Amino acid sequence: MQPVDQEKAVQARPRPASVASVRNLRVYFQSKRGMVHAVDGVSFDIYDGETLGLVGETGCGKSVTGRSFLKLLPVPPGKIASGSIQFKPHATCRNCDGNGCPSCEGTGRQSAANSRGRSNEKGIRDSVDAEIVELLEIGREEMRRIRGDRIAMIFQDPGKALNPTLPISEQLSEVFLLHRTSELLEAAGLPASTGGALRRFASQEQRFGDSLLMALPPNRAFRNRLVGALNKMVIEALGDTQVPNPAKLMARYPHELSGGMKQRVMIAQALACNPDILIADEPTTALDVTVEARILELIKELQKKRRTSVLYISHDLSLVRRICDRVAVMYAGKVVEIGSTDAIFRDPRHPYTRGLISAVPSAGARRGELAAIRGTVPELVDPAPTCRFAGRCPFEADSCRRFEPELKPVSNGHAVACFIDSAAPSGRQPTFQSAAV
Amino acid sequence: MSAASQLNSDRSPPGCLDSLLSVRNVRKYFPIREGALQRIVGHVRAVDGVSFDIRRGETVGLVGESGCGKTTLARCVSGLTDITGGGIYFDLPHKQAILLGQLSSPNAEGGPLPGHKQELERIDTAHRIDRLEGEAGRRFRRNCQMVFQDSFASLNPRHLVFDLVSRPLRVYREATGSELTERVVELLEQVGLGRQHLYRYPHQFSGGQRQRISIARALALNPEIIVLDEPTSALDVSVQAQILNLLNELQSQRNLAFLFVTHDLSVIHHMADRVVVMYLGKVSETGDTGELFKAPHHPYTRALMEAKPDLEDESSKYEFKGLEGTVPDPARPPRGCRFHTRCEFATESCGWEIDDIVRCLEYDPAAFETLSGVERRSDFDAVLTFDDAKSANRLAEMLRSGAVPKALQDSLSKLELRDRHVSVAFEEVDEVPLTSRGPGRAAACVLDPSVIASGRNG
Amino acid sequence: MTESYKPSLQPWQSGEARESALRVRLNRFMGLIQRLVSNPTTVMGLAVIVSMIGIAIFAPWIAEPNFPDPYQMPRDWGAVRKPPGTPGHILGTTNVGGDVFYGVIWGSRKSLQLSLMVVGSTVVIGTIIGSLAGLLGGWVDEVLMRIVDVFLSIPELIFALAIAAVLGPSFTNIVFALSVVLWVKYARIMRAQVIQTKQNEYVDAARVIGDSKLNIYLRDILPNSITPVTVQATLDMGNVVLIGATLSFIGLSEAGIAEWGVLVSEGQAGIASGRWWASTFPGLMIFLWALAFNLVGDGLRDALDPRTEGR
Repeated sequence: MQPVDQEKAVQARPRPASVASVRNLRVYFQSKRGMVHAVDGVSFDIYDGETLGLVGETGCGKSVTGRSFLKLLPVPPGKIASGSIQFKPHATCRNCDGNGCPSCEGTGRQSAANSRGRSNEKGIRDSVDAEIVELLEIGREEMRRIRGDRIAMIFQDPGKALNPTLPISEQLSEVFLLHRTSELLEAAGLPASTGGALRRFASQEQRFGDSLLMALPPNRAFRNRLVGALNKMVIEALGDTQVPNPAKLMARYPHELSGGMKQRVMIAQALACNPDILIADEPTTALDVTVEARILELIKELQKKRRTSVLYISHDLSLVRRICDRVAVMYAGKVVEIGSTDAIFRDPRHPYTRGLISAVPSAGARRGELAAIRGTVPELVDPAPTCRFAGRCPFEADSCRRFEPELKPVSNGHAVACFIDSAAPSGRQPTFQSAAV
Repeated sequence: MSAASQLNSDRSPPGCLDSLLSVRNVRKYFPIREGALQRIVGHVRAVDGVSFDIRRGETVGLVGESGCGKTTLARCVSGLTDITGGGIYFDLPHKQAILLGQLSSPNAEGGPLPGHKQELERIDTAHRIDRLEGEAGRRFRRNCQMVFQDSFASLNPRHLVFDLVSRPLRVYREATGSELTERVVELLEQVGLGRQHLYRYPHQFSGGQRQRISIARALALNPEIIVLDEPTSALDVSVQAQILNLLNELQSQRNLAFLFVTHDLSVIHHMADRVVVMYLGKVSETGDTGELFKAPHHPYTRALMEAKPDLEDESSKYEFKGLEGTVPDPARPPRGCRFHTRCEFATESCGWEIDDIVRCLEYDPAAFETLSGVERRSDFDAVLTFDDAKSANRLAEMLRSGAVPKALQDSLSKLELRDRHVSVAFEEVDEVPLTSRGPGRAAACVLDPSVIASGRNG
Repeated sequence: MTESYKPSLQPWQSGEARESALRVRLNRFMGLIQRLVSNPTTVMGLAVIVSMIGIAIFAPWIAEPNFPDPYQMPRDWGAVRKPPGTPGHILGTTNVGGDVFYGVIWGSRKSLQLSLMVVGSTVVIGTIIGSLAGLLGGWVDEVLMRIVDVFLSIPELIFALAIAAVLGPSFTNIVFALSVVLWVKYARIMRAQVIQTKQNEYVDAARVIGDSKLNIYLRDILPNSITPVTVQATLDMGNVVLIGATLSFIGLSEAGIAEWGVLVSEGQAGIASGRWWASTFPGLMIFLWALAFNLVGDGLRDALDPRTEGR
């Protein structure tokens, strides 16, 4: 498989700046029966400020792909076998120093396109502001700084992702303490050069004896100011997600909140630091439809305001259609089709995409005549180099069972891994007319 | 006459008057216990007066969000949960259904007449599922089966497929030995599995296949109705399509009736002949699937459609949006129309009450903190006491200005500010009843359907 | 409609014979055994248990039974306080001429009796009472569990001691005392399990079919609740001997019988004067017995854990 080819396929001509480029990512899981190729050579870009939908059935590797961004995989048995995820963090806007101005549309960030040259005074954050970060190769410490700050993630089950023993306020303040120390000091009216116990307090790296130091005047007064500033930031973050009465919510524990409320807290936590990328792994699957729609609206609004890119992982096609700019369809560890939402839904080129779309019950479909995809997702233990969809595909020909199609562009920004649109090395070609059944 | 029995007489195509299963004003309250003595301090009204019919061979869809009582109702219908009030009748002839409607409607004197009582008793013992005994009880039990949402949890992990599917046949001693095996194989083949799957454990199957096993088990006794509780919610779309096709195929082969419970509108749209939309334990709208989806008569139905747009219909007539707020506590459901707290069409006659003011206050932390007491004369009339006069004044201002929904303002009949106290009263509003809107159609909303269709509250 | 399914073949499975219920169940059982023996400490424990049971069964052939009561220690007044290695008394003799080797061998019979009788009766009583409490709920549950609480509030050793003391010193009374004390544990475990299991949807599914309550209990609830009881019973097989020995040690058993606790008790007076053997060998047996059952119990817990049961 030629990475160069994929490069061409994925990046169509006038391409917008990408904040993250995934190239040839392979994640394997060791199982009793052999290596499971959960993600097997996935490449795509996330463009600046867009929402990229990642869709597919259970077990197609979409969640694993999302989690690879933050190295949140169980290792072992999981293992990132090869590939790269290059992350280009936004630089702080030069004109306003991160406070929001017209030139950066109030986001305080430059877009990824012109991120060059930056002031180097903001401590922790700037070590991350390197030109390009290779997410798969950086160390734990650096990953810890990126996680939650530049790349945030929200999970399917907000009940499991929140710590049941801590009140909401503490779970949210943690983010600020970890990633926003200098702003916190600033908000509390303390000089940026503040050091010692106070700084350690504000960055949650307290040492033995610090609590005693903090209890003494004048530190105590500063401490109270810090806590006040922190609370204000937390309330603001919660307020952004439109929860009623954020101040009251802060003292609550996760189990006291409804699913929708918990997911809002998760979103507040994730968006607290204006991340450049938000990875949303089925964020609304556990919620009711009306709440789901509301949460998605909210993510959309916040995204617009902060120019965050969203990787939206979901199996719900109708939602993906409503909220995503581009869609990547995954099947059995591979991206089989990627393109603009419009192109994917109007003119799906891959038989799997077609199958998925027509399997959704809709007003048009006759009762009992839903176009189901026959069979199930194959096991991904040491797969043979064939089209992974062969065996379930209604259009397959013998070339599909002998060669593995690569992702090739069919039109501007629309790429498909199927021999229907690109010639197979040899053998009979599949066409949409050659339907088997 | 109740709305549901009215519906019955409205829609009368010849030959299918008799309903297979009649749900009449069913209530299910769960007690809330508190303290060391487990004293009952209140009731969660999971299902609060629901009526509908299921006729032979048709699919009735039951939709709603979590907590609306749809699963509880499904369990009541299948006889798993006892009901608190009302009745579920099996195989009730049309004549008796009408009679039942007349008898059970409270007349002026209150309570049915002595003669009627006897008649009611007779219908109850012959048709009410929780009163059926002996052969009649067995007949109902055999004819009403259920398929659960979680195919993994609903199959005993220690039983082989053969044990699972043959169990109903063994319970009713329908077959033994090799005949039993052949019957099981036949059932498995009907659901797309085969002989090779007989001696395997449930965990060896995929979710879709397990659901097929559940369906085979439900079919074993050749029932007339199957209650399907979110049968495809845990499945992928492609597998969901397989299962839905299978269900439809079985329905047309065997003239099965389905009660299809789900939260997924697109599935309901595809599967159901008639739809019952539930919100907070009550039916908010019911009608034929096509008409209901064409023009919802209840704002909640509309909200559901807006939240879950159809995939194909790209230029949907509804803009994609969700609902504000959360589902109110079912132990203290809102007065009037239960949906009015989240309804964008709400009017002054939707049952605004004191709780709504408290809910509004919650959005204003400063004011909420200073609220020190609410002295209720009724749900519609109360005195709110604040810590200081300023906060009281602020509430009064809030109620006069646009900070609260306009409908709430309009329905205020009294607003007096005295020092730290604000006394407020609303127009008292009865529960909004389910009213007939044409053949087979009913909705519980005070508004004209055209307002809801147009999307703006004029 | 054809969904591909690849079964995982185990070594003992042959391709064709898979299609029978008996074979499949046997395979599942073999899988359990395989998981059990994959753990070396469990294998060690099993080996010890098997040899102990072997000793108990073949006791009459290993050490010639005493006449008329083989459970009474034989007295060899000609060889009192002999150290191990003495001809005819390979592990030495006690200060009343009892053969330590005979005591060790025939003591295993006593221990096996004790374990089986106590664990057997307590498991049955505990499972029945726990199931009743869990299934019926309400006031039945309340009453039964308060009784259990009363039993649990007294330390089991002291409670057993009190019962045995009241009834008088005899081995049978020890069995009785231990049974009275230990059933509560099983009742507790069983009740919790039953309450959890009966909420499973497959129980609802069986009710919808119309199966009888007894059948639902026997087919669905009991088999899916019994696992922790099995594990606890295995652990208790060892613990019972430990507690029984303690009671014997303080003299609640008949004096002079071939029982490890009695032997340890009778030999302990000599330890100070250097006659270590009379207590050490039976003590070692008690230790090995308890250890072995604990090892197997732990192994069983891991092997029966549904999370480790391969999908």
